[in-house]
Amino acid sequence: MRRATTFALAAGAALLTRRALRRRIAASPLWPMPALEEPVSGRGARRSTITLKLTVTERTEPAEGVVRLRLEALDGSELPSWEPGAHLDLVLPSGLVRQYSLCGDPADRASYTVATRLIEDGRGGSREVHEQLQEAVELSVRGPRNRFPLVAGTSYVFVAGGIGITPILPMLTAVEASGADWRLLYGGRSRATMPFLDEIEKLGGRVTVVPEDECGLPDLASFLTNSPSGAAVYCCGPDPLMDAVTAALGPGRTPHLERFAPGAAPAGAAFEVELRRSGRTLAVPADKSLLAAVREELPGVSYSCEQGFCGTCQQRVLEGEIDHRDELLTDAERDNSMLICVSRCLGKKLVLDL
Amino acid sequence: MSNTPQPAPVAEERIELKARNVSFEWEKTPLHWIPGDPFTGHTINVLHLLLPAGERWFVHVYKQVLPYITDDRLREDVIGFIGQEAMHSAAHDDVLPHLKKLGLDPTPYTAQVDWLFEKLLGDRTLPPGRARQWWLMERVATIAAIEHYTAFLGNWILNAETLDRRGADPMMLDLLRWHGAEEVEHRSVAFELFMHVDGGYRRRVRTWATAFTALAFLWQRGARFFMDNDPTPTVGKASLGAFYRAGKKGMLPSTPSMLKSIPRYLSRTYHPSQEGSTAQAVAYLASSPGANGGR
Ligand SMILES: [Fe+2]
Ligand SMILES: [Fe+2]
Repeated sequence: MRRATTFALAAGAALLTRRALRRRIAASPLWPMPALEEPVSGRGARRSTITLKLTVTERTEPAEGVVRLRLEALDGSELPSWEPGAHLDLVLPSGLVRQYSLCGDPADRASYTVATRLIEDGRGGSREVHEQLQEAVELSVRGPRNRFPLVAGTSYVFVAGGIGITPILPMLTAVEASGADWRLLYGGRSRATMPFLDEIEKLGGRVTVVPEDECGLPDLASFLTNSPSGAAVYCCGPDPLMDAVTAALGPGRTPHLERFAPGAAPAGAAFEVELRRSGRTLAVPADKSLLAAVREELPGVSYSCEQGFCGTCQQRVLEGEIDHRDELLTDAERDNSMLICVSRCLGKKLVLDL
Repeated sequence: MSNTPQPAPVAEERIELKARNVSFEWEKTPLHWIPGDPFTGHTINVLHLLLPAGERWFVHVYKQVLPYITDDRLREDVIGFIGQEAMHSAAHDDVLPHLKKLGLDPTPYTAQVDWLFEKLLGDRTLPPGRARQWWLMERVATIAAIEHYTAFLGNWILNAETLDRRGADPMMLDLLRWHGAEEVEHRSVAFELFMHVDGGYRRRVRTWATAFTALAFLWQRGARFFMDNDPTPTVGKASLGAFYRAGKKGMLPSTPSMLKSIPRYLSRTYHPSQEGSTAQAVAYLASSPGANGGR
């Protein structure tokens, strides 16, 4: 009799414990572990995966060898806003990813406009755009993102070469609207191959158009010396043009450049980096990545992909203007940190917490 | 020297490890991505709960161990490993918002896994010196033990043809196989690193026991969490029996094969290169849509 009672009591206790445990686990799946107050996982913040599904709604040829695409959301919804200088990553049907500047009107929230020139011996991206992206074709897009932002100022100088006019075009409209002083030098092979000439010439008389077949190569030196010395200089075009602008400005001034070298593009202007905790200041030459320079001083610094996507080389930046060239960090992270494998400095000096 | 048996690596061509910039799109993947078999899908889905925090922790720990590595080749391997694990963590993390969109919010579970890896297994406030080094080595050894299982699972998923036959979602299969293939590709790194910086056999056994127990606990709770919170009312409950049966059908790793892998890791001559095929992994990576679509 006593044994039966003990057994019944034990069974009852076991049942109750099981029920209590179940209730606990239902409320807290890993009970007895607590939860992290600010969960890190699952926030969906990774930049490269925030894709938009767009469709080509209009395709025109604003110049020889150039197509302009108007892209709209499949469901017609409003698109994320952008500012002049921003670009999109287009995921082409083959999976290739290419970057193209937005050249439409930032106030138009229903569509994006990009323009590309067919590059015969290129890496295939422009050919795919020209051949595959017909009207009604759907594609994925990442962005928009801006690594060529327009800084606030009262005086601007723009230099565009050929299709390099695309990021500049919305900038011109913006600075004209702000009442700032601006001038543009726009070069290209011939008038027929230079897109957006009409729109630009409508903007006013501060535009110098230099088609090579009529006028030869533009005289950068005299154009730049005749422009206000405090003006912010923006240039987009072929590498030789951007190098020439950098050289013509001389060591005292740095132009804002937009290069579309995807992935690893360590090259850029030279600058200095101070490693504050180590108490060292190093020179980062134009042809070397910041990571490579830092590694010579601190061989244990972590990194991996060297192409700006894995994020393991992220470092805190204490001072200096960062030239973000990665495709990973969120805007909040960009405020005070950088991926040192690809990103550089917009000014003369960066201070890292290293 | 003593005549204790030593780890015996299998000769294979050494390949350079590098992170791949993957991209996957989840819009079209249904919650029950193995048609008609929510239990198997959810058991595999536990990976998305554990790996974002877990592999972020690998990276965090390995960044600290870099200065202890005196072998240049191993350092290169570890650097490649770090980038691969960072991408694994990010890619699995991207699935979580999609699960939420499908009506199964994973946050109650992942917030606790975050606590496990960020707090319990985090750096703690240890004085520099022996205590700090002991804790670092303990974690390095734990990672080696976990990597024994990631390589095991990687090898399994690369060969799990039953999943294709059952019409599993191709995007999810590609994520799992890209990850699995990189796990097979880098399967020796964590063990070699552990042997290089510490290598103690007692530590290997101790951390294996912890890792194994933790994984079993996390997995059981994870499968249960998914089955209990699935918005479809008919999915039923997670059970050990269902796990065993799915293993028998080739839908999950089989229970006997998992039991057999235990003594292998504890053998004194164990070396990860004895299991899995680098050639198969590399072949998959060459053809994986996700691994080649990014850039
Ligand atoms: Fe992994
Ligand atoms: Fe791994």
